[in-house]
Amino acid sequence: MFQNRAEALALALPAAVFAAVVFLLPVAILLSEGFRLEGAWTLSAYGDFFSGTLNRTVFIRTFKLGLEVTAVSAIIGYAAAFAIVNLPPKGKGRMIGLVTLPLMISPVARTYAWIVILGRTGIVNQALTGMGLSDGPLRLLFTETAVFIGLLQLFLPLMILSLISALENMPKDAIPAARVLGANWFQVFWKVILPLTREGLVVGGTLVFTGSLTAYITPAVLGGSKVLMLETLLYQQVSVANNFVSASVIAFMLIVMSFAANILLKRLATARNKR
Amino acid sequence: MKTSLIASAALLALIPLGAVAQDRTLTISVYAFAQDDFKTLVYDPFEKQCGCKLVVETGNSVERLAKMEANKANPVVDMAVVSMADALSASRKGLVEKIDPSKLTNFGKLYDLAKDPNGDGMSVGYTFYATSIAYRSDKMKIESWADLLKPEYVGHVAFPNVTTNQGPPALYMLGLALGKDTPDLKGPIEAVGEKKDDIVTFYEKSSQLIQLMQQEEIWAAPIGRFSWAGFTKLDLPVTWATPKEGQTGGMNVMVVTKGSKNQDLALQFMDFWLSTDIQTKLAEKLIDSPANKDVKVSEAAANNLTYGEDTAKSLKLIPSAAALDNRDAWLSEWNDKVGQ
Repeated sequence: MFQNRAEALALALPAAVFAAVVFLLPVAILLSEGFRLEGAWTLSAYGDFFSGTLNRTVFIRTFKLGLEVTAVSAIIGYAAAFAIVNLPPKGKGRMIGLVTLPLMISPVARTYAWIVILGRTGIVNQALTGMGLSDGPLRLLFTETAVFIGLLQLFLPLMILSLISALENMPKDAIPAARVLGANWFQVFWKVILPLTREGLVVGGTLVFTGSLTAYITPAVLGGSKVLMLETLLYQQVSVANNFVSASVIAFMLIVMSFAANILLKRLATARNKR
Repeated sequence: MKTSLIASAALLALIPLGAVAQDRTLTISVYAFAQDDFKTLVYDPFEKQCGCKLVVETGNSVERLAKMEANKANPVVDMAVVSMADALSASRKGLVEKIDPSKLTNFGKLYDLAKDPNGDGMSVGYTFYATSIAYRSDKMKIESWADLLKPEYVGHVAFPNVTTNQGPPALYMLGLALGKDTPDLKGPIEAVGEKKDDIVTFYEKSSQLIQLMQQEEIWAAPIGRFSWAGFTKLDLPVTWATPKEGQTGGMNVMVVTKGSKNQDLALQFMDFWLSTDIQTKLAEKLIDSPANKDVKVSEAAANNLTYGEDTAKSLKLIPSAAALDNRDAWLSEWNDKVGQ
């Protein structure tokens, strides 16, 4: 498209400079706070952070919830996306619209809705007691389960949309061919669908995992300080303790985890494709 | 002709005055809430009166204080309103100027607790609030702060997080009730920690509580009086407790920035804000409880405010020095005992 590489670089330069000045530089300054103590470069802030039991608990909880939400959204996402791509065009359009609809509603509204649904008098508890599965209302709000449900609902559409796109790009006769050759449905998924849709899974997985790690409203509202996560801890450190060093350490870890997840998922996809 | 000449001369004479008025700019740093009402009730009338321009910066107390510290050498803010503890912090860091009460004509009208809240002459209170317990009178009876932790009630209680304005005062009163009254709040934090699994939630925003109360998720929660109006609109028997240990609360204060070039104008603005007229208007709109004891409001407004001399005298506020010296330790203790 461009005459040479230099011309392309020259055209990209203004955007690159803009991004560097208004995004990369401030982030770099913020992150450097965690590596500097009294003017000297050090890793002691990271040592101090991980020496606290609470910080370690919060770190593990955040990572674990991120993984769980990503894994479950991948399972539900494959089922939903497979069903949607096999619908007739009209139905497919409607279903994609329904999946996209929650993305147009504020995460705050979506999160507050869960307070009504998961409350003692909410529909979940009413259904459980009505079916005789529970003697009385269960405590569902302000638990890790509530945060998990809230995050899953928040990011599942991203996984479904990524997988729909990947499934639509798959050769139409791949599944019938595998079935004719005697593969059962698990083998079809594992040996045909998964390798051919891995790119979509990487994109969806990265979006869901990164979103789950960095979401603030949902863990704050559905978990509160009973289910402290890295981002709610970061807020505490900035707004209450005025401890920008600790906040910088947390921000750095969130960024590293997001990049690591993306790189790991891409590597897995590339490794599989090479086989 | 003569009239035209006089009019022209008067017009010419006004031009430099207009230029001077434009030059007089007062930058204030305030909380972000109710800014539309503040503009109508306070900022616009003051601009008219002083012939000056007001520049308003907003944000939470800690953020704005950090900005003042960053601009210490060349202050960009002339006057700020912050919490009592943050005012003491600013004073310790040399960010604020001593206030000369003789320049505040409304100073004598203030309740005693607002005149010099930190005892260092560096701040003046403009509003305060009581903190007590809002509870369902048909489900429970609150006579003491310790009742919140009774086994039959604790499963229906929301307690403020230590990171909120209501957290430390509520813990302070709980400590008094439990006979564990030390500035480090270790006793009450430990008591709350023992019941952390039973307590419904440790809330961050009092606005969450109305929904939780409406859904019968909670029966009781310590709240600031400024949140009370929302509970009275619920179709439920919610009562404001008068525990035997008393009520606690908080106060917001005004400070003048050290090195500000507009200190007289800042004091003029503070005096305007503290006047009976402005404090009455803010109180009637339920924005701020008045620190000016001459303010008289309707019964309906009084019921939703922290109002009257008796209430002002009865409040047990955490001393700013205790709050400031222990704030980090409270958070660390809380995270250790409650946050795990």
